[in-house]
Amino acid sequence: MTNRLLDVKGLETHFNTPEGIVHAVNGVSFTLDEGETLGIVGESGCGKSVTMLSCLRLVPMPPGKIVAGQANYKDRDLLAISEDEIRKVRGAHIGMIFQDPMTSLNPVMTIGKQLTEPLILHLGLTEKQARNRSIELLGIVGIPRASDRLKDYPHQYSGGMRQRVMIAMALACMPDILIADEPTTALDVTIQAQIVELVIQLREELGMSIVWITHDLGVVASIANRVAVMYAGFIIEEAPVKKLYAGPSHPYTVGLLNSLPQIQVQEKKRLYSINGMPPTLYKIPHACPFAPRCPWVIERCWSENPLLFPIGDSHKVACWVDIKTGRER
Amino acid sequence: MANYIIRRLLLVPVLLIGVTLIIFGMLQLLGPVERSALYVTDFPKNEKQIEGVIKKYGLDDPFFVQYWRWLTGVKDPLTGEREGGILFGDFGYSRTASQDVIDIIKTRFPNTLDLALWTIFPMISVGIWLGVKAAVNQNKFIDQIARVYSIVGTSLPVFVFGLLLLMLLYANNQWFLPGKMSDWVSRLIYSGEFKQYTHLLSVDALLNLRFDIFWDAMRHMIMPIITLSYINWATFLRVTRSSMLETLRMDYVTTARSKGLEERDVINKHARPNAMLPVVTMMGSSIVGLLGGVVITETVFNYPGIGKAAADAASQLDAVTILGLAIFTGLILIISNLVVDVLYAFIDPRVRLS
Ligand SMILES: Nc1ncnc2c1ncn2[C@@H]1O[C@H](COP(=O)(O)OP(=O)(O)O)[C@@H](O)[C@H]1O
Ligand SMILES: [Mg+2]
Repeated sequence: MTNRLLDVKGLETHFNTPEGIVHAVNGVSFTLDEGETLGIVGESGCGKSVTMLSCLRLVPMPPGKIVAGQANYKDRDLLAISEDEIRKVRGAHIGMIFQDPMTSLNPVMTIGKQLTEPLILHLGLTEKQARNRSIELLGIVGIPRASDRLKDYPHQYSGGMRQRVMIAMALACMPDILIADEPTTALDVTIQAQIVELVIQLREELGMSIVWITHDLGVVASIANRVAVMYAGFIIEEAPVKKLYAGPSHPYTVGLLNSLPQIQVQEKKRLYSINGMPPTLYKIPHACPFAPRCPWVIERCWSENPLLFPIGDSHKVACWVDIKTGRER
Repeated sequence: MANYIIRRLLLVPVLLIGVTLIIFGMLQLLGPVERSALYVTDFPKNEKQIEGVIKKYGLDDPFFVQYWRWLTGVKDPLTGEREGGILFGDFGYSRTASQDVIDIIKTRFPNTLDLALWTIFPMISVGIWLGVKAAVNQNKFIDQIARVYSIVGTSLPVFVFGLLLLMLLYANNQWFLPGKMSDWVSRLIYSGEFKQYTHLLSVDALLNLRFDIFWDAMRHMIMPIITLSYINWATFLRVTRSSMLETLRMDYVTTARSKGLEERDVINKHARPNAMLPVVTMMGSSIVGLLGGVVITETVFNYPGIGKAAADAASQLDAVTILGLAIFTGLILIISNLVVDVLYAFIDPRVRLS
């Protein structure tokens, strides 16, 4: 059996806003094994970032609050350990990269300084050792003339280069897990492919596990082993990537797959784009949150929110309807 | 960096022309007859004399001729001596003070500088410190206090606050005094025994190792210092707080946390330097305000600085003096802006390296 690195159970995160309590994450559970890459997919605003930020307690508190759940990293619950302990996990055991490389680096600090910080902090390197290691790291992520570029500032790098720096920084201490929060969304298409390529190559060399967040099912196919689809703060379907593409079982997943331009719909079945907007939840729903947008909706969907349950080998879905038959399961 | 500074320096003459044009232009809004009143002392003024003055000083010449004459002065055709010309430091003669305007500046500015010196440092450091504290503890007790203070601080007028101080600290028990120095100190200065290295009384006192004089200077400056600090703290606090709150929401702050940095380092090394950018800009205008003369504060405490001189001149309609002091303030503004720009570039590589 492979080693379980991360085991998240019943995670719930709220935000206190002037409009009311936003239920951003509503009892999310998932696991991540050694060497595995988990894709988390969903429209923007569905709680992907907050889920992963919660695991490292990086949600801004206030307004955020993690109200329930566990996030077990190896044998420690990251949500229960002290502030000092979790700091030693961040950057050292779990690295993170973010959506917008233009804003995720400190504009008034040199790349070199930002890159050496975790090395000095977690590995106890001297300035000089850290500098040398930084040059190596920049080389590894494919930045030419690395030793000259340490003294440069972020605005002197292009977007793609900055994301490479972020990757170097997140992997500087050889973490077990890399959390990548839509790292290609803000980049040009060609650069996107390069970044995905780079991460795949680094995964082969370093062997870390990855949680890859994206709203693009197309990207996830090329990198993930397993996919969790999120909607309104719930995971509504989870399956190995091939299974998910071959047999999406939640109407929302079907909609997401259909909206992919490159995927041809083989059967002449209903082709639809998902109408409407995902809801912001101010209350825990007593109906399926997708019901208002769902073409398969039945009576029961309006009175009871389905929980995630297994429908096959390592395939789980949260839907009352068997979309193959259109009838209640 | 050098490039950037040179470009800023090249701007200085342009700004100077702008400032002088505006200030001189404002005076030109008055007609020649009205302006002739500056030179005619007789009362009632007779028409002949007014006409003579207008002719003599060319008050009805075209605008730019007058402006040029005002900048460069007039050469006496016989002696070749120059008269006037602010470019040559001749700001004119103040009738109400019975001395050259430049001499008013020379005697009064050190006093204003002395006051500014003791205000700027606590003003900036405490204001910024409070602002950062408030932002980091948003909506907690210290933040609530800070917010109330910043509202009170910006809305309670200086003359009210100043009078309160005078009542509490002077009228009742004379702990602290208005004015600049006690009589025995001014006698000592006149006697020439006290060496004036800088003409800043408090600094000279320290350099002479005369702590009694230093204490006397402080006794006179404490009330204006408190008054000036109290308004400026409120402003610095407000700007720092909101800039810091905005910075704390930035992605790179989350990045810093995700690297495992301690919160202290996240704030001091990552957030604060970024949050300082708008504060530095405001610092410039605050310092200009302090150096250009704080008219109300100096008047309330009868403190003989540039601001008091301007108030005195204005109350006696001494246009020449006001004009000269305005030019001087403009000069300070230009220099301070230069310093702020350089400081800004120093903090922000995007400015420095562009
Ligand atoms: N700082 C915040 N304050 C209030 N609400 C927030 C905050 N951050 C996130 N949210 C809310 O949480 C929900 C999930 O956001 P997020 O996880 O960022 O979505 P995404 O799936 O696009 O990453 C959204 O409805 C968003 O409005
Ligand atoms: Mg997101």
